[in-house]
Amino acid sequence: MAAMSRVLRAAAAWAARRAGSAGTAGITGTTGITGIGPRLPGTLVPVRHSGDHGKRMFIIKATSFYDSRFLSLLRYYLFLTGIPVAVLLTYINIFIGEAELAEIPEGYVPEHWEYYKHPITRWIARYVLDSPEKNYEKDMALLDVEVRKSELRLLELEARRLMRHRGDGPWYHYETPDKNLVDNSMKATPDN
Amino acid sequence: MPEDHDWEAYKVPPTRTPVSERTTSVPNPVDYFQSAFNYVLDTPVTFIRDWIERWQNRNKFYYYHQKFRRVPDLSQCLEGDYLCYYEAEAQWRRDRMVDQEIVEIVRERMAACKQREGPNQFQNCAKEMELLAQVTKAYQDRYGDLGFHGNARTCLMKQKHRMMEERKAAQENQCP
Repeated sequence: MAAMSRVLRAAAAWAARRAGSAGTAGITGTTGITGIGPRLPGTLVPVRHSGDHGKRMFIIKATSFYDSRFLSLLRYYLFLTGIPVAVLLTYINIFIGEAELAEIPEGYVPEHWEYYKHPITRWIARYVLDSPEKNYEKDMALLDVEVRKSELRLLELEARRLMRHRGDGPWYHYETPDKNLVDNSMKATPDN
Repeated sequence: MPEDHDWEAYKVPPTRTPVSERTTSVPNPVDYFQSAFNYVLDTPVTFIRDWIERWQNRNKFYYYHQKFRRVPDLSQCLEGDYLCYYEAEAQWRRDRMVDQEIVEIVRERMAACKQREGPNQFQNCAKEMELLAQVTKAYQDRYGDLGFHGNARTCLMKQKHRMMEERKAAQENQCP
């Protein structure tokens, strides 16, 4: 019985091998390389291209294309200006450095940017912004103009009030018709 | 670089740890830790910092604290003189900032004293406590409760009310 089953199994294997080789011979023709070809399922195959890493797997996972594209673009645009700014700041802070506090020397009037410590603040105060004294004077000039305007307006209102009240000024003259044009004939009879 | 605290504001008294007499032959492990810290962290950082300082000392430049001239106060301005009002307002704002800094410094001194003394703070920091109480009371009397929109005019009005209250209290004390 065991011998019979073994004979049958050997026959089946021989038949499969023949079918495989015949199939390759029929399809490929001259190349008939033995060993390649569709094997029956369940047969063992040696692992190829392993390099002791194990069998190569096709891992199915969700796409990371959009995420990695986003992150790479983010890094690109951030570093495009970020790196020059970082280099500039490092250069300024290390090689130029901050100012030192000192007493105002005798008879010396410091410029308005010399009241700041960091070199970038000094640069901005010197070349971009107006000096605080200039700002002060600008505000005072604006106030002065508005003060004069308000004084004149108050005076005008007062003058108008008085002229309207007294009637002896150049304003508030109303055109009246000539008294010679008035027809007084109906005043001649008393019962009208 | 961020500023250090003002070391002159309070001189820490010298430590009174006694010199220990060596009784064992086991070396002190703290020495090893200290030398490790020295070699790994202290020396490179100090070297780099000195190098940076030497580089920056080639072209030094200075900054100064601005000194403002005193201008007539709000109580010395004529009515309707808006320019005088503007200058008095600016001066009042500067003075308020100075007073805020003064309160801050006194408060820091108090905190330093507390930190130093630890459990003895209530006895040993009495002077600082007194000073802080006085300074904060003065600040509250002058600038407190004016609100965000407080300006020189509201402060002057507050002073006027305070003087009126004082005068009323003095009169009541005089003739009870």
